[in-house]
Amino acid sequence: MSLFWVVVGQLAAIETMSTSKKMITREEWEKKLNDLKIRKEDMNKLVMNFLVTEGYVEAAEKFRMESGTEPDIDLATITDRMAVKKAVQCGNVEDAIEKVNDLNPEILDTNPQLFFHLQQQRLIELIRNGKVEEALEFAQEELAPRGEENQSFLEELERTVALLAFEDVSNCPVGELLDISQRLKTASEVNAAILTSQSHEKDPKLPSLLKMLIWAQNQLDEKALYPRINDLSNAMLEDPTT
Amino acid sequence: MPASASTNRPEDLIGRLKSSEGEAKLKALREVKNQIIGNRTKKLSYIKLGAVPTIVGILAGASESDVSLIVQSTAAIGSFACGVDAGVKAVLDSGAFPHLFRSLSNPDAKVVDAAARSLRMIYQSKLAPKYDFLQEKNMEFLLSLLNSENENVTGLGASIITHSCETTVEQKALCDAGVLHRIIYLLEGSLNQRDASLDSLATIVKNNSDVISKFVGLKGGTALSTITELIKDRNPRTRLLACICLIVTGNAFPCYLQDIGTKTKLILILVELLEEPDQVGDEAPFALANLIADKEDLQKLAFEVDAVDKLCNFLHKGPVQVKRLRGIFLALGELCSKMEICRSRFLSLQVLNVVTDALNHDSLDVRIAACICMRNVSRSVKNLSAGRFMNEMIVTSLVQLLNDPSTLVQVAALGAVSNIVVDFTSRKSIFIQCGGVKELIRLSKSMDTALRLNSLWALRNLMFLANKTCREDIFLELTSSMLASLIHDPEPLIQEQSLALARNFVDGCVDCIEHVLADNGVIINAVGKQLWSSFKSEVCIQGMYMLINVATGSEFHKEAVMHQVLAPEASDCSQSFVTKFLQNNDSRLRTAAVWCVVNLTYPDSPGGSNRIERLQNAGVISQIKKMVNDPCLDAKFRCSKPWKAYSEKGFACSSVASLSKGRTCLSAKWVVVI
Repeated sequence: MSLFWVVVGQLAAIETMSTSKKMITREEWEKKLNDLKIRKEDMNKLVMNFLVTEGYVEAAEKFRMESGTEPDIDLATITDRMAVKKAVQCGNVEDAIEKVNDLNPEILDTNPQLFFHLQQQRLIELIRNGKVEEALEFAQEELAPRGEENQSFLEELERTVALLAFEDVSNCPVGELLDISQRLKTASEVNAAILTSQSHEKDPKLPSLLKMLIWAQNQLDEKALYPRINDLSNAMLEDPTT
Repeated sequence: MPASASTNRPEDLIGRLKSSEGEAKLKALREVKNQIIGNRTKKLSYIKLGAVPTIVGILAGASESDVSLIVQSTAAIGSFACGVDAGVKAVLDSGAFPHLFRSLSNPDAKVVDAAARSLRMIYQSKLAPKYDFLQEKNMEFLLSLLNSENENVTGLGASIITHSCETTVEQKALCDAGVLHRIIYLLEGSLNQRDASLDSLATIVKNNSDVISKFVGLKGGTALSTITELIKDRNPRTRLLACICLIVTGNAFPCYLQDIGTKTKLILILVELLEEPDQVGDEAPFALANLIADKEDLQKLAFEVDAVDKLCNFLHKGPVQVKRLRGIFLALGELCSKMEICRSRFLSLQVLNVVTDALNHDSLDVRIAACICMRNVSRSVKNLSAGRFMNEMIVTSLVQLLNDPSTLVQVAALGAVSNIVVDFTSRKSIFIQCGGVKELIRLSKSMDTALRLNSLWALRNLMFLANKTCREDIFLELTSSMLASLIHDPEPLIQEQSLALARNFVDGCVDCIEHVLADNGVIINAVGKQLWSSFKSEVCIQGMYMLINVATGSEFHKEAVMHQVLAPEASDCSQSFVTKFLQNNDSRLRTAAVWCVVNLTYPDSPGGSNRIERLQNAGVISQIKKMVNDPCLDAKFRCSKPWKAYSEKGFACSSVASLSKGRTCLSAKWVVVI
């Protein structure tokens, strides 16, 4: 009988060990954070990287002058890239294609998927504007050959042409193609391709850092109670609650 | 004025390119460029209409300061050359090369960028002329490209190397000129520079151990670890190219690719890259196949990280694009080339039907790759024994491929056929019913050596352990005169296969022995003639076993063999080939010669003692007595009891074991799974 109680006691001890987490107060935490050194230049570079990747050309120019941080890309190219992006967002796809080709003809020549998506967007815009005949001709002349080259393009083409079959496109199963989000999707695909062609990473680094912060906090949650940052926008340390 | 829609038709635009001037010409040029970029069909129609020479003419006539005109025409030329062979040809034929090279020294950076891009497009095609950097002047120019500050220009330099460096002399010349240094330096540059450098690096070091030794010593010996880091890069193309560099290095010097961790990582990365939708995903399986080819340790490693399952999953997912499909089949083929566990796993994943379907694929390369995969999977003795591959679907498709217009496909199909006809379940009739024998015999008469060789190989394996009717069907179709002439084929490899075919035909079947002695002994005479004259061990071994098998028959059969053994072929050579083989350095040949004597002198047969006497007179027996201490145990064993037969009919032993051992078998029957 006594052995039984020993075992129960041990089990209970193990349980408390696993549930009791280390408690770190706000003061301790802030003190630890104060001991860490971060270089100003690194911060500036991250900010510059964000401005450049997201295409805030004027802000980037100002920031360069005020902080002395050199962007890793020619700022003039941002203007061109933003013009392309904007053209797609406004539905001027043909204009966007011409601009991309002026920037670097290789982008659309070596990226069939992007080229197809731009042409598809062109078709969507024709349909949106009620130019049925032109849309059909365009689908047949420009898009059908791409569909022959690639099975998945053919499926997407069929989906897009299906828009013509419905009277009320807003309620049809493929209606989402007419959504503004479709334009944004295409625009960001072009943006990423241009960045890649300029040897630039297509995503800014700041979001990755924040993602890492969230991941690290989640890991730490299992081991300790500490002042967590829950609201990323103001980066406030919140008191740990038990 | 035509309607606005018609003004942009190719014919109209080409007209305007030719006749208009100034802004109008530039506008037309830009319109053509925008129509063809990304659009293969448009490119082809413009090429057909002769647009390329017109545009090259515009570039040639433009003055150095006319930047827009040069940039637009150069971009259009580059686009014609991108991804369309006819375009590359048209561009080269219209003499664009010198104009594009001249533009590289234009003071305007936009012109330089455009020219470098277009030239790079051209150099990405197989049709581009080889750049001869063995000429000092050219090497200097290449170095000036690589040393440029302009990213597009260094990229062009790297592309020229990737396209043109083929021989070890060229690799060495580039290395001696310091190109490797520059390339390693460029690895630290932008993303695009890094990829271009990795690509050309693999070309310079490939299969060249001298250059690889220099490369690994660069940067104080850290060059290789730089590449090893890059296999983990975020950019998929960089990962692939870095993997390829490590693979070519490791293939030349296994010592640089010893770390199990790195090897495992390479396999995992390459399999993972198959997820990439573009060219990277297409090329990844080829790199994987190259990594594991002929290396059992790497195949084992690949198996352990579920590479077979992952590759097969891609085949299950639905239609795979041509190049990728081919790559996956080749990689699976390599995985199944040596290890039975891989083959069993492959067969358990239900993808054999995908491979079977691909035997009828439109693409020649896919058909070949599917055949290779089928051949390697069907090396599985266990599954061959179970008749797993002898089903109508597989057999019909393979037999159909024996009629393929491409010899390469036919040879690949014969490889698979050779294995699947090794069947132990008496289902060989399926193959015969599908018309397979007729096709094999037709190909055995081909002018092409590879076709003759491989079709005979398949026939030999089909004959292996077949039932009597099946053997007779094949033999009658082939005819004895045909077999005799194949035994006399000028090609020793074909002689060997023909003799092996005869050997399997007469194995353990008295009626079949009668067949080879018919027609005035045309076949056995052909065999004897080869044994008297051939110097190739492999040929003689097969010939000897054919005689050994005949000597298991009746008195009459044994005498027919005696006739070959003792008939002096040439007056100046009285020593029998048996005596000659007994003294041969090749122990397999000595063993075969002893077996032959054993079967001829089997004591219970009436003429046995008479034959001993004749062999004694010919000096054969005295030679055997000298062999008591033969270093080859097998021969020695038989010599110490040469006249005690091992079975009633003479010698015959099971050949199932010999399947896995390949060519080292000692049986009367003979089969090699290829």
